[in-house]
Amino acid sequence: MNDQPFFSALQKIYPKDRLLTQGVQLLAYESDALTSFQAKPTAVVIPETQEEAIETVRLCHQFGVPFVARGSGTSLSGGSLPIKDGIVIALNRLNHIKKLDPDQRIAVVEPGVVNLHISQAADRYNLYYAPDPSSQPVCTIGGNVAFNSGGAHCLKYGMTSNHILGLKVVLADGEVVEFGSESLEGVGVGPDLIGLFVGSEGLFGIALEITVRLLPKPELYRTVLAAYNDLETAGNAVAMVVASGLLPGAMEIMDRLAIKAAESGVDAGYPENAAALLIVELEGEAEQVETEFEEIMEVIKESGAYEVRVAKDAEQRLQIWKGRKGAFSSVGRLSPDYIVQDGVVPRSHLGKALAEIDRLSQEYGLDVANVFHAGDGNLHPLILFNGREPGALEHAEELAGKILKMCVDLGGSITGEHGVGMEKRRYMPAMFSEVDLETMKAIRRQIDPKEISNRGKMFPGGEAPALKMTGMHPLEAQGIISRE
Amino acid sequence: MSLQPTTLEELQEMITANRSLLPVGGGTKPALSAASNGATRLDMSRLSGLIEYEPGEYTFTAYAGTPVRDIVAALAEHGQYLPFDPPLVERGATLGGVVAANTAGSGRYRYGGVRDFIIGVRFVDGRSQLVRGGGKVVKNAAGFDLPKFMVGSAGRFGAFVDLSFKVFPEPRAYVTLKAVFPGLGPALGAISSLFTAPNEMDVLDLEPLADGRFSLIARLGGLSSALPGRIERLQSFLYAKTEAVSHEVIQAEADAALWQQVNAFAWAGDGLCLVKVPISPKRIPLLENVVHGLAPRRRYTAGGNIAWLAVSDIDSLDAVLNTVNLPGVVLFGPPGRPFIGPRPGVSLARRVKQALDPSGKFLEI
Amino acid sequence: MQHRIDINKYGPRGQTMAEAIQSCVHCGFCLAACPTYKVLGEEMDSPRGRIYLMKEVLEEKLSIEEAQPYLDRCLGCIGCVPTCPSGVRYDELIVSYRAFSEPQRRRSLTDSMARRMIAETLPYPSRFRKAVASGKVGKLFKGAMPEKMGAMLGLIPTDLPVDKPLPPFYPAKGKRRAKVALLSGCVQTVLDPDINWATLRVLSENGVEIVIPQAQGCCGSIMMHIGEEERAKKLARQNLQAFRPNEVDAIITNAAGCGSGMKEYGLLFKGLPEESEAEQFAHKVQDITVFLDKLGFKPPAALPEPLTVAYQDACHLLHAQGIRNPPRNLLASIPNLTLLEVGDGGLCCGSAGTYNIEQPEIAHQLGQRKVQHILNTGAQAVVSGNIGCLTQIQTHLTERGISLPLFHTVKLLDWAYRQTN
Repeated sequence: MNDQPFFSALQKIYPKDRLLTQGVQLLAYESDALTSFQAKPTAVVIPETQEEAIETVRLCHQFGVPFVARGSGTSLSGGSLPIKDGIVIALNRLNHIKKLDPDQRIAVVEPGVVNLHISQAADRYNLYYAPDPSSQPVCTIGGNVAFNSGGAHCLKYGMTSNHILGLKVVLADGEVVEFGSESLEGVGVGPDLIGLFVGSEGLFGIALEITVRLLPKPELYRTVLAAYNDLETAGNAVAMVVASGLLPGAMEIMDRLAIKAAESGVDAGYPENAAALLIVELEGEAEQVETEFEEIMEVIKESGAYEVRVAKDAEQRLQIWKGRKGAFSSVGRLSPDYIVQDGVVPRSHLGKALAEIDRLSQEYGLDVANVFHAGDGNLHPLILFNGREPGALEHAEELAGKILKMCVDLGGSITGEHGVGMEKRRYMPAMFSEVDLETMKAIRRQIDPKEISNRGKMFPGGEAPALKMTGMHPLEAQGIISRE
Repeated sequence: MSLQPTTLEELQEMITANRSLLPVGGGTKPALSAASNGATRLDMSRLSGLIEYEPGEYTFTAYAGTPVRDIVAALAEHGQYLPFDPPLVERGATLGGVVAANTAGSGRYRYGGVRDFIIGVRFVDGRSQLVRGGGKVVKNAAGFDLPKFMVGSAGRFGAFVDLSFKVFPEPRAYVTLKAVFPGLGPALGAISSLFTAPNEMDVLDLEPLADGRFSLIARLGGLSSALPGRIERLQSFLYAKTEAVSHEVIQAEADAALWQQVNAFAWAGDGLCLVKVPISPKRIPLLENVVHGLAPRRRYTAGGNIAWLAVSDIDSLDAVLNTVNLPGVVLFGPPGRPFIGPRPGVSLARRVKQALDPSGKFLEI
Repeated sequence: MQHRIDINKYGPRGQTMAEAIQSCVHCGFCLAACPTYKVLGEEMDSPRGRIYLMKEVLEEKLSIEEAQPYLDRCLGCIGCVPTCPSGVRYDELIVSYRAFSEPQRRRSLTDSMARRMIAETLPYPSRFRKAVASGKVGKLFKGAMPEKMGAMLGLIPTDLPVDKPLPPFYPAKGKRRAKVALLSGCVQTVLDPDINWATLRVLSENGVEIVIPQAQGCCGSIMMHIGEEERAKKLARQNLQAFRPNEVDAIITNAAGCGSGMKEYGLLFKGLPEESEAEQFAHKVQDITVFLDKLGFKPPAALPEPLTVAYQDACHLLHAQGIRNPPRNLLASIPNLTLLEVGDGGLCCGSAGTYNIEQPEIAHQLGQRKVQHILNTGAQAVVSGNIGCLTQIQTHLTERGISLPLFHTVKLLDWAYRQTN
């Protein structure tokens, strides 16, 4: 393909320092937080205005050049992996908080704004932005919108999609559309276009302006850390809390290996020798929380915990969360490579799912660390392996596939919050029928007829952007899934 | 003309064989459900019943034609509820109708609307294909979020077969506080103070009174032992930080009766059209200015984020909404034109329509 | 992160570099802590990006020259290290990488000249003093690299304070509680000799006896920082001989960069005969604030007037050595003094050793950001534990036409004692 006219057009938009084409520059954009996939783009552009971004998308459409919009590149599913022969639109400089209105509890932000920065800006009004992915200090809101990111505190107030009220987007063919509003009701009239766009993994276009709702900061947190001698008892404790009819803001479990990683990573000071830790956090109006706290302590006492700690102040609370939030990355200390999975099971099947993961871990001879959002059944098994050993990646992938298959069999999902991206597109057929997938593709083609926006993601059998992983997937080999 | 499928297969056949279809549930929102201009009613009431409900899971799946009343009853047995507080339950609203019309009651203030609790949908699209979106677990990021997209879709993209929802434990007790303000300004001022205050409310409604004053109605839900303290605190807050002139506390049966009436739109009276308009609190004065002659009865829910207008003349309201750039959806009123005012994003909705219903089996969006 | 580095090619540091790269999982948590990423917002200018580029160079897939501009822009502030959940030792990686790449890279004549001048002047107080006094510094830079002159000259005062040589020994006041050796440093002694004198007085006030080995010299940190490993070793060897770690409770430093550099002596001599001796030395090194805080600081009497003070964390205290609370504890113990926190306090001020000279534009942006955050506190004075930070802040305050008293932490303590004694 002759790229010259396309590049000449880009050069008219971007000065040299915002149109990166040198090999060394492109190399740095080769991966996101999932390094088993790498693909080098032909260029990286760094728009500083919405108009530049729109113009770029229009050029891409005109010349049929695929693009990936990228924020901080923290996707764990390869969602922001570049496309070979495509460009990266790096949105880091579209990072203005355009409006912050405490009277209406909303903020209007550009996609490159870092998630945590919204809460920091809203802090002086006693407000915050609720969804809190572990990568909150770095991940951008644009990426959160694309992948409907979750976090530990999504149990009560939902994921990203539940906090987006309005969007201005440039669709893949260059049309700019605005929908939603500053109302808490969002779209409110007609089909929920925000629901459709959020979590579409960048396949429709790029969000340029995002209206988010803010919440009043909880007056009081009560954070309880309970240590258990085995994982199953901790899992049952979750069921007991759920059954009690209380609604905690977060409920998290870490197993022995994850605790070990977190301890070595951030020195969280967790109880020693715990086989499982349960974090339960209540949040809200002080009087209500204190009353709930009394009830929940009763439940926890009954649940068989051998040690229970309650955070005495904000610092102790942060300490508890620090270990949890750094747990994924801390696993880098235990193993040079790992795969993070993100399956969901019905909450009542947590115990069964964990036992099965344990069994599979032994069968495959691979360590699996478990860190998960127990409150909503969202598992994060981290499968540890050493990629230097021949076949190790494939072996680990096979185990990952079995875990996802189990999640689907139990009535769950292959992904709770990381999205399908590159990594899990092969498993989509395990969850959706051919008609379901074909229908989603049909919607995509109406919005992006040339399939240029984040090409190759989400759907199985899509055009693969230069992959390191090759060969038939284990689930395919077993005839469980197929790519056609 | 009216069709009434009793099975999925029948539904698919009917869609194949007909056009200009309008799926209808309990018919409680006539402006959306009554067929006009040669449209054919697709009566979904026979595809009814709770399919799956595991109380420990806090999720359920039910056929689209299931009366919400039945679901509410089943959930209540286990102390659970639909936090978006669907209206018109007593009149026979169905689950599918609630989703298609995107109707949520005053209780949506705390945890969100229909979109925030729907987790899965199966529907037959204009190509007669059974399509599933979402799933049955509370958290799921696989594929496009078609369940959310369908909220408010008014039967324009397909006919729902069944729907999955997540639910919450119901607050064990409620108390309502009604405070009167001398005018709109002071009442909106109170809302904005409450927005950044730690007090948690399940409901925050604003109601214009006949004498030009406004009342603010807050409902608190939670553990019974904490409620007296919380309501007292809210009272002192209103007196200290706002211009409230009087207030009353409504409890127990009176509380339940009050909200049941609001839920049934009893306040809107008979013979008027009812229109929902999403709004932000700061635009309420503007809307009040232009509609108070047109809409004799009005109510604002969700802390001033949704306007419910009872009007006699839809055409005039349409014109007014266009001038203030606020979209609206008609619930009670003449059939045929449910969407009034501006239509932000409709071009995107039409693209999706092209994918799901290319030959126009269902009504135009 | 998987790599294919042949570690045998890179000597004793090969293992160190490979381990750091391997433990990186590319999660991106470091982006938030990186000053250059904050200013430039580009992946190549982030710790994660740099690690990736270093990996590619060490795997011989990328040339040293191609990667160099982005590695040169790293301040070495080490802000990324404490934020890294995987525990990547970026500090060890960048120092080792620079030691590996420096001898192999081709520099322009002017660049080499400037570096040589830095290497042969800064570590030697007498030469540095002469160079400044004779105006040679300015001239040299004017000729060698005019575009960078502004930055360099901004750092160098026109009149130097009078040299006050330190005694070999300074007695404890009252009962002796401890015995320490003091590193007198190089650049700092020329630019502000009072810091060392204040250190002696404050230690003495707290019952500490001090020896000041006369044969000591520059600790070599600056040379490590810029990849001049052989020069760094030469300087470090001189100190290994001059100090007797076994005879003192601690080797005290009052310069953040020296402290963190000397704590890395073990790494510097990795695989060499001096390794264990260097390790022993490194174990004894303590920042003055840590030492006093542990010893049990004797607070001065109340200040006559209330004073609000903004404490600016030096990167080489906070990030490189994890020293956050001790200086704050000491300052907060002074009655009538209110300690204020600087917004985004962990972000480097842009001084970073020779960074001001090498990357003046980024250094300037960082300096202005820092000064803005300091002004936002409304403090009456600024305190920091590193002369580089103080100079940088001073430069940027002056640029805005604002005058605000600046103190080295130990000078403020000394001043407080003298206010009330």
